[in-house]
Amino acid sequence: MSPSENETGARFAVVGNPENRRVALFARAVTAAGLPAPRVVPWTGVLRHGRAEFAPGEIVRVDSPGENAEVDRLLRGVDDPTRVEGSAHWYTRFLTAVGGLRGGVRLDDPDELAVLFDKRRCHAVLDAAGVPVPYSPTSGPAGASVGGWDDVRLLMREHRMPRLFVKLAHGSSASGVLAVEAAGGGRIRATTSVELAPDGRLFNSLKVRRYEREQDIAAIVDTLAPDGLHLERWLPKASQHGRAADLRVLVVAGRATHAVVRTSAAPLTNLHLGGSRGDLEAARRAVETAGGSWAGALAVCERAAACFPRTLCVGVDLLPATGWRRFAVGEVNAFGDLLPRLTGLPGSGAEGLDTYAAQVAAVLRAHPALRTPARPQSIRHTQHRTGPDHALA
Amino acid sequence: MSYYPSHLTRFHGLPVHDFPTGPEGAERDAPPAPGSVAWRLSCLLDEIPFDTLWPRFLDEVPTEEVTALVLGAWWDDWDERGIDPVLDAITAEAHRFPRLRAVFLADVESEETEISWIKQGDVTKVLRAWPRLEELGVRGAEDLVVEPLLHDGLRTLRVECGGLPREAVRGLSGCDFPALHRLDLWLGTTWYGGDCTREDVDTLLASLGDRPHLRHLGLRNSDIQDDIAAAVAATPVVARLDSLDLSMGALGDDGGGALLAGQPLTHLTSLNLNHHFMSEALTRRLSETLAPHGVDLALAPARRSHPAQGRYVAVGE
Repeated sequence: MSPSENETGARFAVVGNPENRRVALFARAVTAAGLPAPRVVPWTGVLRHGRAEFAPGEIVRVDSPGENAEVDRLLRGVDDPTRVEGSAHWYTRFLTAVGGLRGGVRLDDPDELAVLFDKRRCHAVLDAAGVPVPYSPTSGPAGASVGGWDDVRLLMREHRMPRLFVKLAHGSSASGVLAVEAAGGGRIRATTSVELAPDGRLFNSLKVRRYEREQDIAAIVDTLAPDGLHLERWLPKASQHGRAADLRVLVVAGRATHAVVRTSAAPLTNLHLGGSRGDLEAARRAVETAGGSWAGALAVCERAAACFPRTLCVGVDLLPATGWRRFAVGEVNAFGDLLPRLTGLPGSGAEGLDTYAAQVAAVLRAHPALRTPARPQSIRHTQHRTGPDHALA
Repeated sequence: MSYYPSHLTRFHGLPVHDFPTGPEGAERDAPPAPGSVAWRLSCLLDEIPFDTLWPRFLDEVPTEEVTALVLGAWWDDWDERGIDPVLDAITAEAHRFPRLRAVFLADVESEETEISWIKQGDVTKVLRAWPRLEELGVRGAEDLVVEPLLHDGLRTLRVECGGLPREAVRGLSGCDFPALHRLDLWLGTTWYGGDCTREDVDTLLASLGDRPHLRHLGLRNSDIQDDIAAAVAATPVVARLDSLDLSMGALGDDGGGALLAGQPLTHLTSLNLNHHFMSEALTRRLSETLAPHGVDLALAPARRSHPAQGRYVAVGE
């Protein structure tokens, strides 16, 4: 049955890795809303054929191509999925593949994905919109380009950044991220999940390592640099019980709906690197006790998301500065919604809904006509405070 | 269990209160009574330089009533000069703080700077400036200087660090603190400058023999925790203590055995040996020996990622 023949007219498709729990969780949310199960369009097919067609009115969700060795090989051109290298290839091929998706009603936008998956461009877009971000010398097209460790050292000196994050411009899940700190007497240290093999190859590791020999740090950065690097000042983060904390805030259709606190003894808070979920209520209290505004913190995330008006949902990494009163946006993630079993914030409109159900509800809310027989249509975000009014189609 | 220090929430029996530095200026709520809180000054809260922050504090808070001061980060960008210029600025105004009884230097967390990278200075300046100071806390020990002096007010001294230099330990041994009740020193690891030896520890313990009020002794977080335990087991000052803390270090059966073989410890209210590397047999003997006498014994072993991993201190870098 083609989507246009469906009697409700509301038919979802998801481009993803069919075996991945992201796809299963989204499908469950769709069927729970009383809609037919989404058509799953595997990334392997999109990448092999270079295109995929969607029917008019078919609502198309593009999900992460991650966690699939074959897809990873097609995107990065690297045989071992644990290798760090290849993110520039990944970026080019991913955008090409997204460009091959034709028709349907999209919940994302190729141009916005191109920004979201380039940390340098993303930083510049946020900065220009007045969203607080840590200082970066590599922001946007006018930013410095980083050819290797010598350039990093130079930028650290020129921009007075003895503590900084070195990130792959197109990396995700903390892959290729180094938290670098330098002090007098030539002391230097990099904290990272990158494992430097004796032969110089780089691997993503679940163990966070500390490198204190500059030659090792230089070897890692020199190997990463051809894929593109983004540097950001290391903002001292607030803490919970002695562990550095940040927040992942999901923004759906312009509104902050879900939030988790992540805490870690290391500067990287990713959950797969030993980070753990912190206490959200305690974070909210800490903000208000410090004289800050919790609503203001969420509004920062909504302003960041408003930079991507054609993208239904983004995951914003919000960094609370030490003292819990000021905030900056670390990253905006296109596929930041994998927060299983987490339900919506009070007053967000997503109470009782997980991240996937909230997105399905937002689509249906934005366009109730989806429940009637299909016809050419568009979905309009209604809750953005800034940015152009626009169609998702 | 995380041993890494986090921001103080209480100090000298008072809640810690951040002096507001934001662009909004004055406090959102009414400011607390000056003597009812421990005032924390941190340049990283709003990234303003200490040269701006300190005069603002002097202007806005009735300093004559302040009893406790907590210095957080004194750098708004990065610390090029260490704490000494800040100590000079603070002690120059000592006459404006007649009721100051407690000072903590460098209440910073690893996100602000690693503990072994904090640039300390000559903390004796603080003791000289406030003869009635009762409590001094110090985090970080790089460039820490302790000049021998007599201070008859100090009751509590605490140094948290990844490596306490031998010169600082010797300096402390040369001080005379007749009122001292609590002494808590993290000795750390040679890797981060903690290079004192058994001999230095013996000298320090001998100097404590003259302090009649000492009730709590912590000598912990050390590479040479076995040596320290052996030294403590033989030192007379232990007989006067209520609590003894030898936790966070590389304590093994040698040190645990020395505690069992040494002077009786049954009079202690508490003995903290957390983060140890002793065998089960030895910890059982410690329990059997001390628990019946009501000693509150803390014996959580150090976590090891694999059995062959060597011994290590809880807080280094």
